[in-house]
Amino acid sequence: MGVYDFTVKTNRGVEKSLADYKGKVLLIVNTASKCGFTPQFEGLQKLYDAYKDKGLEILGFPCNQFAAQDPGSNEEIQTFCKLNYGVKFQIFEKGDVRGENAQPLFKYLVAQKKFTGFDESSPMTAILMDALQKNFPEYLEGDDIKWNFTKFLIDKNGEVVARFEPMITPESIAKDIEALL
Amino acid sequence: MVKVYSITQCPWCDKAKKYLTSKGVEFEVRNIEENEDYAKECAQISGDTMVPVITEDGKNFVLGFDKAKIDAMLGI
Repeated sequence: MGVYDFTVKTNRGVEKSLADYKGKVLLIVNTASKCGFTPQFEGLQKLYDAYKDKGLEILGFPCNQFAAQDPGSNEEIQTFCKLNYGVKFQIFEKGDVRGENAQPLFKYLVAQKKFTGFDESSPMTAILMDALQKNFPEYLEGDDIKWNFTKFLIDKNGEVVARFEPMITPESIAKDIEALL
Repeated sequence: MVKVYSITQCPWCDKAKKYLTSKGVEFEVRNIEENEDYAKECAQISGDTMVPVITEDGKNFVLGFDKAKIDAMLGI
């Protein structure tokens, strides 16, 4: 069982086999539906612009498991939503990325790359920890996705080589992508 | 009249609207997802397509749900 064995649906409902991406470096990201960590869309688009011609594909999977909460309880994270992602990479159908109903692809990804903690040096970590403890303390346990914009890097052979937690910005993983291209 | 630029399924827009209502402020909702003219207006005011954008005069605006800034701008 590998990443190329999964079939997913695009945001327009078209089935897409991940085998179509064989030979590409993939960055698979669970994105937020309009709200939450939206600045990262810009960084992801920049990565896509920089490395698309060298063989990078970014696959965005919208999920509202983190954004559908009552926003009053974690106002510090952000207080706005954005109309369009404004991105040109492929966005797929909205679905769960954690828990029993998680999309099989994400169950596979988190089994390949387990949760090893947040980056303590990021100012976002304390805010996110606080929001999780208040709203979803159970999310802190286990290897499932913790929040929007968790990123999985897959090499040209389909091997999941890295997992980056939400506070790791797209800009900061450029070197990891370059190393695989 | 205060205008609230918003999109559907936007908890922050809903919060802002509820807050204005609770303060007795009358406002007009302008959904930038459904109306292109409103989207252009909103982009002109804030320079982006983030919402909610709250404005009274079309120049001064508050982006996001920020009670203190809303109070200051509207004098409530």
